[in-house]
Parts: sequence; C-alpha cells; structure tokens
Amino acid sequence: MPIEVSHFTEVLMDQVQLVALAVMAAVYLLKIRWILHYKAASERTPSRGDHGQAIRYSYATLAMPWELPSTRRHWFRYLEFGLLHVAVAVAILVTFVMPYWPRLIAGRDTIGVLQVVFAVGLLAVASRLVRRVGTAAMRAVSSPDDHFSLLMLAAWFAAAILAAPQTSEPALIAFFGLTAFFLVYVPFSKISHYIYWPFIRYYTGKHFGHRGVYPAKSVPRHA
Amino acid sequence: MASGNNQSASARAVVEGFKNGLSRQAVLSLGACVHCGMCNDSCHYYLATGDPLMTPAAKTDRVRKLFKYHVDWLGRVAPAWVGGSTLRTDEDLRALEDVVYGSCTMCRRCTLSCPFGVDTALIMRTARGLLTAQGFAPEGVKVVSKDQWEIGNQMGVSQEDYLETLDWLQDELRGEVGDPDAMIPIDKEGAHVLFLVNPREIKYAPMSLLAAAKIFYAAGEDWTMPSVGWDNTNFGLFSGDNKLGAHMGKLAYDQAKKLGIGKVVISECGHGFRATKWEAPNWAKEDLPFPMESFLETMVEYVNTGRLTLDPTANPRPVTYHDPCNLARSAGITEEPRFLLKRSCLDFREMTPNRQENYCCTGGGGAMSMSEYAQRRLKVASVKADQIRATGAESVATACHNCVDGLADLIKHYELKVPVRNICEYVADALVLPAPAIAREALIPAGLRGRKVLVIDDDPDTVVYLTTLLQDQGLETVAAHNAAEGMAAARTARPDLITLDISMPGRSGADVFARLRSDAELARIPVVIVTGAIDFRELMYKRNVPPPDGFLQKPIDPELLLMTLRKVLEVRHRECVVSETGAAV
Repeated sequence: MPIEVSHFTEVLMDQVQLVALAVMAAVYLLKIRWILHYKAASERTPSRGDHGQAIRYSYATLAMPWELPSTRRHWFRYLEFGLLHVAVAVAILVTFVMPYWPRLIAGRDTIGVLQVVFAVGLLAVASRLVRRVGTAAMRAVSSPDDHFSLLMLAAWFAAAILAAPQTSEPALIAFFGLTAFFLVYVPFSKISHYIYWPFIRYYTGKHFGHRGVYPAKSVPRHA
Repeated sequence: MASGNNQSASARAVVEGFKNGLSRQAVLSLGACVHCGMCNDSCHYYLATGDPLMTPAAKTDRVRKLFKYHVDWLGRVAPAWVGGSTLRTDEDLRALEDVVYGSCTMCRRCTLSCPFGVDTALIMRTARGLLTAQGFAPEGVKVVSKDQWEIGNQMGVSQEDYLETLDWLQDELRGEVGDPDAMIPIDKEGAHVLFLVNPREIKYAPMSLLAAAKIFYAAGEDWTMPSVGWDNTNFGLFSGDNKLGAHMGKLAYDQAKKLGIGKVVISECGHGFRATKWEAPNWAKEDLPFPMESFLETMVEYVNTGRLTLDPTANPRPVTYHDPCNLARSAGITEEPRFLLKRSCLDFREMTPNRQENYCCTGGGGAMSMSEYAQRRLKVASVKADQIRATGAESVATACHNCVDGLADLIKHYELKVPVRNICEYVADALVLPAPAIAREALIPAGLRGRKVLVIDDDPDTVVYLTTLLQDQGLETVAAHNAAEGMAAARTARPDLITLDISMPGRSGADVFARLRSDAELARIPVVIVTGAIDFRELMYKRNVPPPDGFLQKPIDPELLLMTLRKVLEVRHRECVVSETGAAV
C-alpha cells in the first residue's frame, strides 16, 4: 500500500511537478518558435518523387530498423534504443499516476512489472554509458552534457525502481526531485533531441522525396 | 593573426557568417545530433582508418562546436558543458579547412544511416562556404573555381579549344559510323536536346563524348551542344559558394533559353547532374521553362522506345557498377544504369552494398582537385577497393567522371587491374548499327602519320612499347630515358608532341613539365602525361603553368593512347591553321 507522505513530498509530487512541467512546455514552445524563425531552404525544381509518401517513410523509419543500414547492422543498439525509450515513457507516465491515483499502480504484480521495466531502462543506460566511455570513437564526440544526461537518467531509473512500491518517502523524494530537475534541465540539454526529431525527419523526407531517393529502393539486406 | 580582441578578422567573419546564415535545415542538423555513434561505420574515412576523429559525428562536431558556442541556448551560457568553442585564429580556420575539405567527400552515406537524418554534407558545405569566402580552401578548388568564374568551365578550356575539339570529334564520329553527314551540332536553335558535358570530356576524356555522340546519332536525335554554358560541373557545390553555383547554372540555363531547346540532357557527371538539375535553380532563384534529365534517363528512353538496339555480346566480360553518391543518394538515379548495363553487357554483377548505400569512390566533394589530400584519399579508398574486388568483375562501370578518376586512382593504388568507364561507353560499344558505308580512312585522312613524338620515360619496356605502337601508326618517334635527355631531345628534335612520365629518378616528370611550359621555345609543344603515379592530378588542378594536354594512366590502353594523341595533334593542327589563315572554324 502507498504510504502517507509529508506535506513537502506531497508538494514535490504535485505542485512542483506542475510548475516544472509548465517551464518545460514554455521552453519547448519557445524552442519550436526559435527553430521556425530560421528560414527553410526550398526547392524550385519539379519533384521527382512523392513528398507525402517520402515524409511518411521518413517518420516510419523509426519503426523500421531494417530500412537504415545502421540499425540493420546494429540491431542490438536498436533494441536498446527501443527498451530505453519505452522505460522512459513508462516512468513519465508513473510521475502522473502516482500523485493522483497512487492505488492504480500499487498492486504487487504491477509494481513488479514497473520495476523490471525501469531496471531494463537502467541497463540500457548503463550499456550506453559503457560504450560512451569505453570506445575511442564515442569518447571523441562526448561532451560533459552527454555523460551527465546518461548519469542523471541512470539515477532517475534507480530512483524509479525504489519508488515504484510507494513505500519509501526518501525514494519518492529522489524520484520526483529528479523528475522536476529533468523537466527543467531537459529542454536545454541534448535530451531535447526529440523536439528536433519531427522537424528533421520531415525535412529529410521532403528533401529525399523530392529527389526520388525516399522511399529507399530495394537494397540487398545482407549489406 | 589574431587581433586585439584575440580573434582574427577572418575568424570573426566566419563566425558572423555562420551565426547569420544558417538555414532551418542546417540548424536542425546541427542541433539534433545526440552523438549516438550510429553513423560511425557508415563513413569510409572511419572504416578505413579506425581514427575516432574520422567519424561523421566527430567531423561535424568541428562545425557543431561553433553552433554550441554561438547559437545553442545552453551553450551560450556554458559552452564547455555542451562541447562548444569558437574560432579565434587563422590556424583554427586552417584546421577546420583540413576537416571539412580533407576528410569528408560529402557523400551523405551517413545521412541515410542516421536515425535523425543529420545532413553532414550540408554542415560541411556550410563551413566550406564560410571558409572559402575568407580564402581558406585547397589550392585546386580555388583555381578551378576561378576558371569557372572567368572562363566558364572548370578546366580552363578556351572557346577555341572547345570548338576545335568538337570539330575533331565530329570527324571521329563520322569515321566511327562511316557517315560523312554525321554531325555534332553547335548552337542549333530549337533542337530537342541540349547536351551539357563535363570539361574532362573535352580536355582529357573525349571517348565518353564520342560515345554520347554515337548514341545520339544512332537514336536519330535532334540534338545540339552549346557554344557557351556547356560545362555541367559546378564547383559552387563543393566550395559552398552559392554565387558561383548560380553563375554556372545560369550560363547553361541562359543558353538553353536562348536556343529554345526542348530539354537539357546532362552527361554522366554525378555532381554536375545534381548541381545543374537540382541545386543551381535554387541558387540562381530561377524557375526553368525546360526539363532537365541525366543522359542515363535519355538512353533508357531510347532503348524503351526502340530507338537503340543493343547487343550485350559486345561486352562479354563481367562488369560491376559503382553508384555515384550524387546520383544515388542525392538524385534518386539507381535503376537506369542497371537497366542499361544489363542490356549492354553479358555479365553484370552487383557491388555490395549498392544503390543509395554504396560507398563513395573517394573522389567526391571536389577531392580530385585537392592533391594535398591525395594520400589520405587513397588510404580510405581501401573500402571501395574491397567492394570492387569482391565482385570479381573485370571492369567497372560508373556514371560520373569524378568517380572514373577516383576509381582509376584507387584501382591503380590497390592493383585491382580493372578498367573503369562511363556507362555510355558500354552502351556505345553495344550499339547495333548498319555497317559503315564509307571506310574510316576515307573520312579521316589526316590521322597520325608523319607526326613526330618524343617519348620520355625511364622504364625501357614502356619506351619500347610506346615507340613501337606509335611507329606502327606511321609516327616518327624519339626516345629519352630521363629528364635531362628529355629536355635536350625536346630542343633538338622539336617534336609535334611529347609523352611524359611523371615518376623518374632524379628530376621528376612534373619538373620537366614545368620547365617545358616555362620555356618560350618549347611551351607550345603539346604534352601528354603517361604515368603510373597519381600525383599528376596536381598538374591538372593546381595549374602553376598551363595544364597538360592529355593524361593516360599505366598500364597503357593502346586505343585510348592513340585517340588521345589524335585529339591533341588534330586540335592543335586545326588551331594553327585557323591562326595562320585567320579563318573562322
């Protein structure tokens, strides 16, 4: 059963989250406005392909690892990417459920499933951290922000595992404290990449569709 | 030099240009990268060297640092936290030049591997443009760009040379097809096709243009070449100079509009096609009233409509195809070359990977003109060499002149011993044409007979081979085995043409070439470089003295050698006749 928490923790889980969420939303809106204030290059030539189809294809590559040479070759990393992002999505969902409907995820089995999901997320982060630190090519491109983001994510998942049963107030403080921090920090950090993603995939699809490159033509799958 | 505020004027200009000139697509490519490393093994530079600084992310980070420092929100407050830094000195600019020009061919293979679609080529081109504007670019790029601005073509071919070459090619075409009425029309108003070429076809590789002319002839096409605006290449694409890009595009577009042609057909040049068809209309801000297509598409149409009949037994040896990056990844042309090769050759073999996933020939992005990076280029070409070797093919087809040169260099370097040719040459060989009505000799009376050639080469076997081959054609030959002998023979024998080896003990052929070109008495003698080395490209692109009149790589293809000599001697002869008589061509 979820424990009764102090007023401080209650505020942290509710009002602080809402304020942080509002900050995040505001920064994201500003960021989108900032992206859009740069003039987009456009094509004056007749198209060789179908823009709409190419843009849809461009977005769909996210779920078609066989379409990109990189994800086809590094299928484990694609799996890792999938599991990590599922774990992140579940953790975000939990931050909304816990303050308002704590009993909804208080069942023993549910707690178990959540902890497994968060543990998998933690492993995926650890794997990425090891790769970033352990390979020269990754070290060469890594900034403090890259490392910090992974470390914070690891801490967040660890806190989520401990907070999932909702029986430890320090764990809940850690989890929601980190969540609030993330909500404010993320829009400025590399983790905000998902704000860029819809835009860049749109222009990638449009550009390569215009040239008739997207959707990609048949390529031997053993490549 | 850095100024008082610790930033050189050039560095400041680059930074300001960067901050103020970014497109939305560039901002997205600079901002979206999460350094996931998925692009690493898409790049031939990294695959071949294992150098962590050669991954696409590491290379673009050299530009991204500027973005982080000057544009990114967090970076402007805490640049070191996000890996941001700025450019302060001219040394910084030179280091950036080395990265954006010397370690990326802008092939875009990484872009199609990136889960985001980060456009590395766009980032590199943006940086190139800013650097070039401040004079930071490889010498070859500067020379070629200057010639495109001033002369209108990248190889500095004079109008006279161009027209004489077409005139000579017309004679060759007549000899080939046995028809005295076969034409290479120039500035024909209202023609259906306006054909634009790579200056390499005029200056050094006339066989591909002859093949194209033969195909147009066989198809009964109503075509023409322009007298100006004929260069389909565009160094603006490589140097990031949109104004040069627009200038080169407009030269062609204006001529097409003036002649009222039906469509523009662009010869087999990857970047030339991309620049002329896709990019230059944007740079020139022109909406064009005529369509443009690749010669590959034109040939496919001829075959599909029965205007060409092909016999694949003409090319019985196994052939593989190298997809040029600018055609496969930036223009969507992947099936047309395969269609043509499968109908022109008996044994077509796919390279793996292929199409939009093919590896770069290593000559892209203007790399062929950057002799300072030749050794690096050859080192990273091992990836391409392995690809070609694995096919077991005995010849390589491609649809790009840059690729022909890039592949020829790596084939030489990795001792693959396979020739590389343009697609149209395979198609021309496979053409089914009526037997010639008139013998070649009757149509081309001049030939090579009676001309004197000085062969300068330190390899006795090559000297014997060349002199025997030339004597069999009725040429008079003089041989020299080193630089000193060569210079002396040039003075005493006064040959009509010199074939010159580059790698010779003592004074090199390059040195001999420079001395010949600088000598008032000898400067006019045409020189054809015949070499096993690849550093001859420096002579073609840096042009401290006028470039050679031809070049051939060893092992020597006798047919190509004789064609090159015919071309050089005939064009020079015609120019002399014109200058002596004052007659118009």
